[in-house]
Amino acid sequence: MRPPQPLRPSALRGQVPYLLMLAPLVMFVLVTVVVPVALFLFRAIDNRELQAGFPQTAAALSGWSQAQGLPPEPAFAALIFDLAKAQEEGRAAALAARLNQAVPGSRSTVIKTAKWAATADLQGASLREDVLDQGKAWHNPALWSVIAHETGRFTSYYILTTLDLKRGPEGQLQRLPAEEALFLTILARTLAISLSVTAICALLALPVAHVITAARPRMATLLLAMVLLPLWTSLLVRTVAWIILLQGEGPVNATLQWLGAVTEPLRLVYTRGSLIVTMVQVLLPLMILPVLAVLKRIPPEQMRAARSLGAPWWMAWRRVQLPLLWPGLMTGAGLTFTFALGYYITPRLIGGEKDQMLSSFIVFYTDKTLNWGLAAALSLQLLVILALVAGLLAGLHRLTTGRVR
Amino acid sequence: MRAEFWRIRIARILTGLVLAYLLAPLLVILPMSLTSGSNLTLPGPGWSWRWYELVLSDPRWLDALGNSLIVGLGSTLLAVLLATPAAVALAWGKFPGRQFALALIATPLVLPIVILAVASFSFYASAGLLGSRLGLILAHAGLSAPVVLITILASLRGFDLGLMRAAASLGAPPLTAFRRVLLPLVAPGVLAGAIIAFVISFDEVVIASYLTTAEQRTLPRVIFSGLRESISPAIAAAAVLLILASTLLLCLAAALQRPKDR
Repeated sequence: MRPPQPLRPSALRGQVPYLLMLAPLVMFVLVTVVVPVALFLFRAIDNRELQAGFPQTAAALSGWSQAQGLPPEPAFAALIFDLAKAQEEGRAAALAARLNQAVPGSRSTVIKTAKWAATADLQGASLREDVLDQGKAWHNPALWSVIAHETGRFTSYYILTTLDLKRGPEGQLQRLPAEEALFLTILARTLAISLSVTAICALLALPVAHVITAARPRMATLLLAMVLLPLWTSLLVRTVAWIILLQGEGPVNATLQWLGAVTEPLRLVYTRGSLIVTMVQVLLPLMILPVLAVLKRIPPEQMRAARSLGAPWWMAWRRVQLPLLWPGLMTGAGLTFTFALGYYITPRLIGGEKDQMLSSFIVFYTDKTLNWGLAAALSLQLLVILALVAGLLAGLHRLTTGRVR
Repeated sequence: MRAEFWRIRIARILTGLVLAYLLAPLLVILPMSLTSGSNLTLPGPGWSWRWYELVLSDPRWLDALGNSLIVGLGSTLLAVLLATPAAVALAWGKFPGRQFALALIATPLVLPIVILAVASFSFYASAGLLGSRLGLILAHAGLSAPVVLITILASLRGFDLGLMRAAASLGAPPLTAFRRVLLPLVAPGVLAGAIIAFVISFDEVVIASYLTTAEQRTLPRVIFSGLRESISPAIAAAAVLLILASTLLLCLAAALQRPKDR
């Protein structure tokens, strides 16, 4: 690290042309990538809709708690007022969608009530009974509780949901009941698939890297080209190739049947096995290359010296070569693991329903149910894990390289 | 030494198996795409080019190929135009915050593709560019510009700014120095970056499926949606064409990037 140099205005003036050359790309990335990603992630805590939606109702509900059952009369009047306003301003559908996320099944009731509230003649009627007549959802204290508690600019609802948690009637944290819990399972599955793919890649990369390093130059170039070739073909195409290979009448099944190993075609596609086989094939070059780069720089004399001093091969490899290989393995593992964590196309195409990873659910919530808050919270979760892994690897890297020197 | 012999033997066999595993899927779909039947079975009933003819004559595939080429070339041009000056600035500039600028530009590379696609979707939707080729060109340029930048930075690293000064001191006007000294040295890096940018766009499917409608479908997008319906040999043929295109282009890029003996 160079010491920071004091900035003299004259020195900076000479840099203006460079800054002008850099500016277009920086602006482009900022405007089309960084800001949109930040705005999208912000949706994970954004609560503007509910905050603006029920100001009167929330005020009328202060002091009420879910344990008391349905709220008192003034809350119903306030609800009619708020919903009528939302209906006039065209926000009712969005509000209904937002409430539906918190209390599934409430959407149609909220929309219906808002329409009714905007037009109803409310002179002298029992507001409470009228609202309750609009639909079952208003009989559920949980819905009122959402309106009572989600009054701030920000909400922890989406992030808690991605951790299978929710706020109880008194605002305390609760685990979601087992039949609603979903996201911790997905998180564990994503981590498990990525970890096993990384471990298998590391095991397979070691012999390949050793053989390539020991080979004669021409042979080494050829072998390296064979590693690079799959890296250069698209992820989609490689996944397609595996589907074709593993399908019911595909070559793998045909060979197994021809060998007499099976009598009926095995179901090989859309399983955890096919997903891992494909992901390892796709990611393996990313593990081989860094290991190879490190291995090339280790003088072969070191192993020979250890062997000539009487160390058995395994001990020599483990005590002499492996510590030197760590940085390469760490880089490779970091690349493989972080790529694997964000995988979407491969699990989507070749995995079964129970093999879908975090990314698939981000797509699901933006594409199918339009629950952007939840999609953003899941994205945030994925990014936090990626950052943790990167930090952990950087720390480990410093430790291992420090020890070797 | 017997043990040593076997150890090397085993390592070689393992390497052979691993390399076969890496290459097999690419090699197996080649004969499968040449089948004359309409199922993807091996061995097929006979050989024919019919699936390649279909892919190269069916308007659905041809339109997709056209879209892919337009988007690929457009985004490559934009990425190169944005990244080349930025690379020169980062390589030669002495202003503070260069590391930060590089990290910022590299954001699209570290983000999981799905997050990038969703964010692009909301941005291009608000810009009114959803379902247009222009939107996809811009999005792909954002994805490939950092790669082009890094490629050009690598080729500039070996370039001595003193060469420009030497040219100037020998009386060359700045433009001549740029044309005769800088350009020949940087051009291979720029070209390699451009090729990689094109391949990135040509292969990209997730952003494409968020930003395009049926009209602007690219080749990978058609493969992706075709897979959900049924796997026909046409998909294998299209996949082989994609493999050939990206392999040839990337070999070219690698050759351009190889350090020359001077």
